[in-house]
Amino acid sequence: MKWGMVIDLQKCTGCGECAAACKLENNVAIVEPRESEMGRTMLWMDMLTIYEGEYPRLRVRQIPRPCMHCDHPPCTKVCPVRATYMNEEGIVAQIYPQCIGCRYCMAACPYTVKSFNWYKPSFPPGMDRATNPDVSVRPVGVVEKCTFCIHRLQMAKEQAKFEARDLREGDFQPACADSCPTGAIVFGDLENRDHQVNHLAHSPRAEKLLEDLGTEPKVIYLKEVD
Amino acid sequence: MNKKTIEALQVLSISLIWVLFTGIAVWIVSLLRESLRLHDAPDASVGISIIAIPVFFTLASILTYVFIGLRKGRKEESEP
Amino acid sequence: MEHASARPHPDAALLNPIENPGRTYYYIVVGLLVIILYTGFVYFRQLWYGLGVTGMAQPVTWGFYIINFVFFIGISHAGTLISAILRLSKAEWRRPITRMAEVITAIVLAIGGLHPIIDLGRPDRISHLFFNGRLQSPLLWDVASITAYFTASTIYLYIPLIPDIAILRDRGVKPRWLYEFLSWGWQGTERQHKVLDRAMNILMVMVIPIAVSVHTIISYIFAMTVQPGWHSTIFGPYFVVGAIFSGIAAILVLMIVFRKVFHLEGYLKHIHFNYLSILLLIMSLIWFYFTFSEYLTGFYGHEPNEMRVFWYKFAGDFAPYFWAMIVCNFALPVAILCNSKTRTIPGILIASISVIIGMWMERLIIVVPSLANPRLPYPTGIYIPSHTEWMLFLGGISVFILGYMIFARFFPVISIWEIEEGRHESAKIVAERITSYMPDPEPSATGE
Repeated sequence: MKWGMVIDLQKCTGCGECAAACKLENNVAIVEPRESEMGRTMLWMDMLTIYEGEYPRLRVRQIPRPCMHCDHPPCTKVCPVRATYMNEEGIVAQIYPQCIGCRYCMAACPYTVKSFNWYKPSFPPGMDRATNPDVSVRPVGVVEKCTFCIHRLQMAKEQAKFEARDLREGDFQPACADSCPTGAIVFGDLENRDHQVNHLAHSPRAEKLLEDLGTEPKVIYLKEVD
Repeated sequence: MNKKTIEALQVLSISLIWVLFTGIAVWIVSLLRESLRLHDAPDASVGISIIAIPVFFTLASILTYVFIGLRKGRKEESEP
Repeated sequence: MEHASARPHPDAALLNPIENPGRTYYYIVVGLLVIILYTGFVYFRQLWYGLGVTGMAQPVTWGFYIINFVFFIGISHAGTLISAILRLSKAEWRRPITRMAEVITAIVLAIGGLHPIIDLGRPDRISHLFFNGRLQSPLLWDVASITAYFTASTIYLYIPLIPDIAILRDRGVKPRWLYEFLSWGWQGTERQHKVLDRAMNILMVMVIPIAVSVHTIISYIFAMTVQPGWHSTIFGPYFVVGAIFSGIAAILVLMIVFRKVFHLEGYLKHIHFNYLSILLLIMSLIWFYFTFSEYLTGFYGHEPNEMRVFWYKFAGDFAPYFWAMIVCNFALPVAILCNSKTRTIPGILIASISVIIGMWMERLIIVVPSLANPRLPYPTGIYIPSHTEWMLFLGGISVFILGYMIFARFFPVISIWEIEEGRHESAKIVAERITSYMPDPEPSATGE
């Protein structure tokens, strides 16, 4: 089993719904505007601004960028305390109570997907009482990032066990895939031939970010064709 | 402070250095076992341990050698 | 014994700072303590609120603390490495220099080694390194090598200090129990000298590879990632060269300061400065050669991500620092030290200070630009260090000065017994050695 995600840029409108859903689902702190200006915005799912072409024919577009969950993650190798590791299902997970906050993984990540809790996580008034109870709010001084909504996987597994059946394709979907209004984000098991992602990953349109680094990302983009 | 206390303190400090270096060696070995268990770069880990542990013990041995050597090399007690 | 210190000692100038420290000494100590206390408060504030009080952000997640870590550990190479090389190569002029150099190492290493801990978001979890550490991470290689270097250089400082401690003990300097405790019963017998020499010989040989490994491994923290500007094979030797370079500059500055403050003109003569500054000049040229080949390969390869970092340094936000570094590390010291007219003590002081500043900027230029230019198109962040970070930098320097002052208060900064040994024996030893270099008087014809 190898969880993976396919993002179809043909369908993606760049609306940012996935980023918002992710933020709410995972209790990602909402930092103050002043902090945000310093570059301390916390986003597990970020919107990358891509410029294509030169001025007269310039195209600007926004593409979603979760953690790539590399098969050869540069971040897990450098962690001195095993606060980040790749589990058997291919998810690059974070262990928050283990992290010592050295930020080496952030420096080593070529995709720059990790965020750090510079202060104690804060939420606007009212929102602090509406955090998702399934996800722990991180303490100050640790690194965090997209986990493919691993808590949803645990719940789906328990549900399947309770119903005495195997996990089905639709059982486990991260918040971004769930929320996407155009169905551009597809999630599933890359090794399972019945899953949609398996087919999409082999599409001729499939490409990975910074593929030449050999990190083997498990997030696959389907490029646009005009 | 009399001579006896100072001598006892000297022996104590040398023993503490051995305790410290043994502690470091135990720590490195435990890290090695962890890396073998988790299968992350066991070769590199073994390499580091092979170099690091003897280095620490050599340092401690040199100190002990000097300590013992200086005591043995003292003149015969001439003054009471 | 009570009136022993009244006896004139041939090296009274070296014992004077220990026996009569004077009042200014205490004023300076108090001043430094005030700075250190305030630094402690600033650090406590960081512990309390989190690393948010620094200027670090995303993507520049490493700032002053890591820069200063690399910088301080670099300075620490001054000592032990240089003193070991000079001892090993039997350079007779080393005698008044080695001790000062070794003390730098021990103190600076302790300060530098603390910096990664200051940098941690959760220093309370430091025990995880011991119970759940993973040798796979270059950070743990660092923990191991810095520990080894620290212990090795402390022992290497201590062992040649024993005879001097015995001199102080015999002169009845207070606190007597300290000297009694540390002198390990040294009486200067032949056998004791033999033991000491043998131990020093082993240590000298051991300390050099350890010192080289330390800065190599620090460079590995950067080189082991795949980030542009960091992932380079030259980094190991480049860091080591930079470390020795900044180390020599630090020794020179300290030598000049001690010469002035303790009136050691009789011991630290112009020739010592001349020799060391020529070494500094050579290191400056080697440093430039390494810098040149590092950037030329990057530039010629023209890999886009590499080039963004390259232009960021050469013509972008970091250009002022980059060119200042070239001036401080290469242009200025070479200009001053090449000419024997300007290779005077004030000239050497200017060159050394400029090298120290330049090497600090080199660390800044290595750490920040690579982080500030991530591969993916993010809005690039700028890094402006906060008051907290400046204060901890200043605090680190104050701890160094204080540490050195405390050492100089209790122990001689110039090795008395080695100077004495030099007075009695070096001329003979050197003469013998030179004779041994000479070709034999006549090709022996005895065998035939």
